[in-house]
Amino acid sequence: MTAITCSGLVKEYKTQKLVRALDDVTFDVAEGEVFGLLGPNGAGKTTLVKIFATLLRPTQGSAEVGGYDIAKEQDMVRRVIGYAGQDSERSAYFRLTVRENLMYFAHALRDVPVKVAKDRIENIVSAIGFEDRLDKHFIALSGGEKQLVIVIRAIVHEPKVCFLDEPSKSLDPLTAKRVRSFLKSYASEKGMTICLTTHNMKEAEEICDRIAFINRGRLQFIGTPEEFKRVVTVKEVVEIANFVLDGAIEARLLAIPGVSNVTKSNGNIRIYCDDAFDVLRSVFDFLGEIGIKAHVNMIEPTLEDAFAVFVGSDSAEGE
Amino acid sequence: MASALKLFYMAVWRNFLIMTRYKANFLFEILTSVLVGGFMLLFSAAFDTSMLGQMVGSTNYVAFMIFGISFQSWQGTALWSAADTFRGELSSGQIDYTFSSPFSRYWYIVSNIAANAVQSTIFFIPMFCVGLWFTSDTLSVTGISLGLIATMLSVAALSQFGAIFAALVLQYRQVTAIFGFFNLAFQFLTGMFIPFQLLPMPLQVLGWCLPITFGMDMLRYYVMRTKSLMPVEYEWLALFVQLLAMSIIAKFVVAWLERNAKEQGLHYI
Repeated sequence: MTAITCSGLVKEYKTQKLVRALDDVTFDVAEGEVFGLLGPNGAGKTTLVKIFATLLRPTQGSAEVGGYDIAKEQDMVRRVIGYAGQDSERSAYFRLTVRENLMYFAHALRDVPVKVAKDRIENIVSAIGFEDRLDKHFIALSGGEKQLVIVIRAIVHEPKVCFLDEPSKSLDPLTAKRVRSFLKSYASEKGMTICLTTHNMKEAEEICDRIAFINRGRLQFIGTPEEFKRVVTVKEVVEIANFVLDGAIEARLLAIPGVSNVTKSNGNIRIYCDDAFDVLRSVFDFLGEIGIKAHVNMIEPTLEDAFAVFVGSDSAEGE
Repeated sequence: MASALKLFYMAVWRNFLIMTRYKANFLFEILTSVLVGGFMLLFSAAFDTSMLGQMVGSTNYVAFMIFGISFQSWQGTALWSAADTFRGELSSGQIDYTFSSPFSRYWYIVSNIAANAVQSTIFFIPMFCVGLWFTSDTLSVTGISLGLIATMLSVAALSQFGAIFAALVLQYRQVTAIFGFFNLAFQFLTGMFIPFQLLPMPLQVLGWCLPITFGMDMLRYYVMRTKSLMPVEYEWLALFVQLLAMSIIAKFVVAWLERNAKEQGLHYI
């Protein structure tokens, strides 16, 4: 059974000029699935999640969440969803404790009985290792801890479908890992569907059963993280270690026949191409020409590389 | 779905916890209320009350003003507290969570206003008691009860304006000036501080359309034994009609403004 389904979704914002944030997006998410929405900044991920959460009205198209139409059965949709928005780490009452905040949101706004809410809060925080913060004022928490409270708020009423917009944005790597593993097991235990947006490829790889890649409002890929990588494994990556990329060098590298994209990654340059052997000679020639000796590797593409290839190829198309 | 009653009592619980945790602010709000009452005692000596006597049937200017000021604490809450809540939620991002939750937006707003009115009662009571002390000659339990009921009814009707202001925040983000305009207009068009009978007729007509006029007039009528603006039964009727009409309008406007706001998104960003 599908938890989320959308067909031909279009969203246009009328500002000074008409901006099409979503362009004919169609896909389904199965019940119990952890589904990731990937894409660069401004791709339309947040807009899509807000439409599902009944916070925005689509310009065209239709969608259902938990079997309910987002336009005609908004109230029913709201009953079955949880939501944690982007940049919402300030979105609780500063002078209430974590426990009081969660109790207020669960009982007042989500109708969870007091006793049930108390137990759930205890269980969730102990699973994440957050017990020692439970009676601290929200204002006294770090940015990452506040974000964690917002994520807990989104699941404490055990929604059927939970939308998390960049849930691990301000979490430290260890906490992020702990939260990911908790969300994955919680979703599986409760049969909850999670739809999350992220830039974090590691997160997508670790937690998502399937991902959708959105760029410029268009859905460009949908499938498992492995399939996503496989789409670009026909492409190969040549890495030049410890090398500074400027505009001129980038232009020269992109001019090499067979090179589809050039990116920076941790002080290294990555060159995406169809056949690394074809490209290597030209790269060495170029390095020799500018008098640089650098370490050059052929590497296995990661999900991040796939991301870069998708964004790069779309920019090229747009030009 | 969360009920209006639950939204109300949980908002009261939340507000009281927060209020008592800003201790200095809490203390000074009470002190301010006491201070204004004290100043009114001093103020009373400086007034010629004969004109007031002719106009409203009581020369007790101090009580007249004190009841106006005590009413004002609820008036501000009714008109502005929900809009203020929404502005806070918009800037913190909480609005997205609120509006993705399953409850009536109208009842969420009204429950929050009611919860804030409960909080304002703490500041209303000292001022109101000073007013009662000045009206000991005309005081009766029935008078106080009916006066308070009329006040609450008019605050409830006024809350409907507050609900509209709150929903306007969703559309226009910043409505301080709109609120300032109406707040001032409401204070002077309704006899809160100036006898209603002193207003020129066109302004009186506007005043008849506002629930505060009847709430204020009946509070003074029952507690101070002033002359009422019209037979008091008509004032009760007018107040009920205004409450009903404004509730329907507010419910419609809130739904309409939410729908419009969702074209562009609720969040500031």
